[in-house]
Amino acid sequence: MTTTVTLAASMRGGTKDYGHGDAAVRALDGIDVDIATAEFTAIMGPSGSGKSTLLHTLAGLDRLTAGQSWIGETEISALSEDKITQVRRDKIGFVFQAFNLIPSLSAKENITLPLDISGRDIDPAWFDEIIGILGLGDRLTHLPAELSGGQQQRVAVARALVARPELIFADEPSGNLDSRSGAELLGFMRRAVKEFGQTIAMVTHDPTAASYSDRVLFLADGRIVDEMREPTADAVLDRMKQMGH
Amino acid sequence: MFRLAVKSVKHNPKRLVLTAVAVALGVALAAATFTLTNALSGGFSKLFDEIYAGTDVIVEEAPDELGDSEDPFAATDAIFAHGDVDDVAAVDGVASAWGGRQVSGTVLAADFEPSNDVMAAGGAPSQIFNWAGDPRVDQATLIEGEGPASDDEIVLDVDAAPRLGYALGDTVSISTDIGVEEFTLVGLVRFGESNSLQGATLAYMTDARSAAINGDDGYDQISVIVEDGADASAVAEAIDEILPEGTRAITGEDKAAEQTAQFDEILQYIDIFAIAFALIALFVGAYIIVNTFRIIVTQRTREFGLLRAIGVSGRQLRTMILLEALVVAVVSATIGIVVGYLGALGLSVVVEALSGEIFGTVTLPIDAVVWGYVLGALVTIVAAIMPAIHASTISPMEALRESATESKKPLRLRNIVGGALTLLGVVAIVVGLYMGIEKPYIPVGAGAMILIIGVTLLAAQVLVPLAYALKAMLTRIFRVDGKLAANNIHREPRRSANTAAALMIGVMLLALVATFTESMKSLVTEQFQGNNADFFVFSAQGAIPEGALEVIEGEDGVAYVTSTGLGTVLLDGEATAVGVIDPDTAELAFDYNNEPDFDQMDGGAFIDPSMVDAGFEVGDELMLEGAEGTATLTVTGRYLNEGDAQVWVDEETGHALLGDYPIVQSMVVLDDGVDPEAAQDQLLDALAVDYPLLVLQSPGEFEQLANQFIDLLLGVISAMLGAALIIALLGVANTLLLSVTERTREIGLLRAVGVRRRSIRRMIRIESMVMAVFGTVLGMILGVGLGAALVRALEDFGFTTITVPWAWLALYTIAAAIAGVVAAWWPAHRAAKMDILEAIAFDG
Ligand SMILES: Nc1ncnc2c1ncn2[C@@H]1O[C@H](COP(=O)(O)OP(=O)(O)OP(=O)(O)O)[C@@H](O)[C@H]1O
Ligand SMILES: [Mg+2]
Repeated sequence: MTTTVTLAASMRGGTKDYGHGDAAVRALDGIDVDIATAEFTAIMGPSGSGKSTLLHTLAGLDRLTAGQSWIGETEISALSEDKITQVRRDKIGFVFQAFNLIPSLSAKENITLPLDISGRDIDPAWFDEIIGILGLGDRLTHLPAELSGGQQQRVAVARALVARPELIFADEPSGNLDSRSGAELLGFMRRAVKEFGQTIAMVTHDPTAASYSDRVLFLADGRIVDEMREPTADAVLDRMKQMGH
Repeated sequence: MFRLAVKSVKHNPKRLVLTAVAVALGVALAAATFTLTNALSGGFSKLFDEIYAGTDVIVEEAPDELGDSEDPFAATDAIFAHGDVDDVAAVDGVASAWGGRQVSGTVLAADFEPSNDVMAAGGAPSQIFNWAGDPRVDQATLIEGEGPASDDEIVLDVDAAPRLGYALGDTVSISTDIGVEEFTLVGLVRFGESNSLQGATLAYMTDARSAAINGDDGYDQISVIVEDGADASAVAEAIDEILPEGTRAITGEDKAAEQTAQFDEILQYIDIFAIAFALIALFVGAYIIVNTFRIIVTQRTREFGLLRAIGVSGRQLRTMILLEALVVAVVSATIGIVVGYLGALGLSVVVEALSGEIFGTVTLPIDAVVWGYVLGALVTIVAAIMPAIHASTISPMEALRESATESKKPLRLRNIVGGALTLLGVVAIVVGLYMGIEKPYIPVGAGAMILIIGVTLLAAQVLVPLAYALKAMLTRIFRVDGKLAANNIHREPRRSANTAAALMIGVMLLALVATFTESMKSLVTEQFQGNNADFFVFSAQGAIPEGALEVIEGEDGVAYVTSTGLGTVLLDGEATAVGVIDPDTAELAFDYNNEPDFDQMDGGAFIDPSMVDAGFEVGDELMLEGAEGTATLTVTGRYLNEGDAQVWVDEETGHALLGDYPIVQSMVVLDDGVDPEAAQDQLLDALAVDYPLLVLQSPGEFEQLANQFIDLLLGVISAMLGAALIIALLGVANTLLLSVTERTREIGLLRAVGVRRRSIRRMIRIESMVMAVFGTVLGMILGVGLGAALVRALEDFGFTTITVPWAWLALYTIAAAIAGVVAAWWPAHRAAKMDILEAIAFDG
């Protein structure tokens, strides 16, 4: 592992167990991982391999059973719930697979929600730029229920970007979208990394989606089994086939 | 956060509508009472102002420690002689002084017929005075005809004359203590500015005639007009100097203020009474609020999880829910206040149409607004605290879960707390009842409250097995609909328990009151078993005139009449209620609950339980000091019921202490072999001449009458509890409605696999009925238990038998089942009309 690049997030010996006794499941099994800044990292692996769990523990949504994890310089595995909430609020953005938006707020209000919560001002230029690129200009006053699935996901991405978090985590953001909407969304995420230096870590099942990233981590049975830089869809597909996916 | 809270309320107002209605209903009850009592206070304070408007100074009996003014039967004594009036008139600054005298009597309507009906004999009171001829003293202005110049003349107020059917020149009959007196109507007067008499009849006769009727030419009040420029309060002080002991001079202004204050104090009790019922209603409402917010939190788990994921802290979430509760509280309290005010306005119009002008201007008092918001906000916020805390513990991971369900935390903690509270409540009640402590109703009342909460908590555990026990039965009767309904109740035991508990409280109070009133009826029945009297004599005017008793005693077939008198004496400086009986005949007519019988009184005194509690016992000497004289008596026995009179003496002692005392009850015993029905007609005919307002009731009629009053009491309290019951039913409807929304997908699925709309409706109806009946049965068990405990606590007042009101209980159960069906109507309708595809695609 290189130590020259600055790290947005990292984990050492990350272990996560669910359940007790006979029903115990080890979702993460001693993971070491680094997420470099200004890089688009994709996480892949068979269903049940621990991708979502890795993402959640890295982001501080869930706690590790053993091991340590950092966001930037802050060791979040040692922080209280309140402090972790603060770190999430100030440094992290999220895009989930579904149910990303508060139903009672309009698209615009959803996008600015993280800023409203932390009491920061909106940067109008940055806001307009995001809205423009995502093509949401004429949908801002709509409630989530009045938006298509793809539009909802774009609103979620806009929300993740607007506060300029140090790191964005996305769990299968394009999983519910058709291939064109998915491609648009991923293209935009890639632009955010390349043009604005945004750091993104994304879980995906789709080799095409993974090909938008700079680096792919392969997970199996709670361990990182391989890594690929500058991936192409075909190379990723081959690798997945080898893993018996 | 506030914006988000408001947005969220606005986004889905439907789920909060019933909650708001519940809060508004409770608040409306309080607001309406405040508005009405305020208007009533305004009306009477105007009346008092007008009564004392022209008079500068009033000389009257000083309110003394004997508390005469609080004794409803106490006649106003003629305490001023003619010389006193002259003395007052001679005081510096006094322009004129008039002796005033009130005559106790009732102006009979032109078409009056004696009816032997207690209710008909009542009605609005008559105020009859001697005529001064000076509007400043009489407070009445002659507006037609003339004032009473000769002793057979009378004037009435302008509204009473047409109401009672009299015109100038007609003969007016007045029923007085010395018989029916006749007068010629010679004039009409207007009281004050607008003759607002709150429904009373006002009449004036000459000074001489009024003295003749009262049998005393003294005055009970002196009205003083001061000279121009003289200071009324200075004159009052000067008059005070020369006044006999026990009297006082007060300015008209102060007197009006004093009366208004006294009246307001009475109204305050009405306010407290109404607030108690509003609180009960809101307490029941609180259960709905808890449920609503609990369900809302569940439904929005993913939303809250998402907010947590993007950095909202638990504390902020909690604040947000409480803010939402506050928004609901403010909106519904506002609605409640407005509805309460409008209700009061409507009621006052109806009441005034029926009984004349008794309210002042009906305005919304500041009290109503303050109490409305405080009660509404307090109840809503307190009820929302638990769900809010629950929301704040939602982990961000919940946002990622597939479906939202209430967390399946075990009920252990709830059971422990519930069990502990139930036990504590029972212990408090038992301690209150059996430890013989000072004020048993305090631990009993507090115990009851704790018990309710404890049982509510435990109900979740009871409901689960119950639902399962019922499942087989429901499945057999209603097949799959019944099975699903049982499952639904079982699925959210907390929620079902809270819903049932809301109804439980209302029914519990009903059952409690019913148990109490039915036991009261048993008490009445028991008392009549030891009764030998053929008739009870009642007077609608208060005391029974001596003359009337003489008329009865003089009739053929009457063996004897025995009477009970009432008065107040001082015992060691404390006002003590004294009852006067004839020891020789009292016990023959009625089997009093005493030890030994009254005929063993032997010139001494009997004492009641409150005196025993105060440390007196048989053999002690009592030093009694009455208005007429003092007496030292040996305690010769005990009277075992509390609440009638503290000390009982014979008639000789009664006269020595009190002089003429008012007779409050008389019993007539006939000679052997006389037919009671014929005798009743005979006696009534005899009384009709001079005492047409007296009523003779046979024991059977009296018992029926007493039962009617008890039923009226039950009716009034039940009506006041109506608001709580309506809220409880709204609660059932509300919970079902929210559950239906929550189960949208599931219902869609059921429909998709072929369950018919009718079945869906029936499923919801069964769920509702089971919850309603369950709450009712629990409420009845608690209510009858607490009612029995209460009756036991009041043993000193003569209660011996606890009567379970089976008929009422059966009625409540049937009503609950019907109410369950009614409450389920809208939710069932909603569930059944769902579009299958939309329901399946429904998100959260
Ligand atoms: N809350 C939980 N309780 C118990 N076990 C869990 C829980 N969440 C995840 N697991 C288990 O942990 C393992 C890893 O799950 P995870 O969700 O991380 O997989 P994944 O790689 O994201 O799978 P998918 O591609 O299907 O989303 C699985 O075996 C899963 O069953
Ligand atoms: Mg996953």
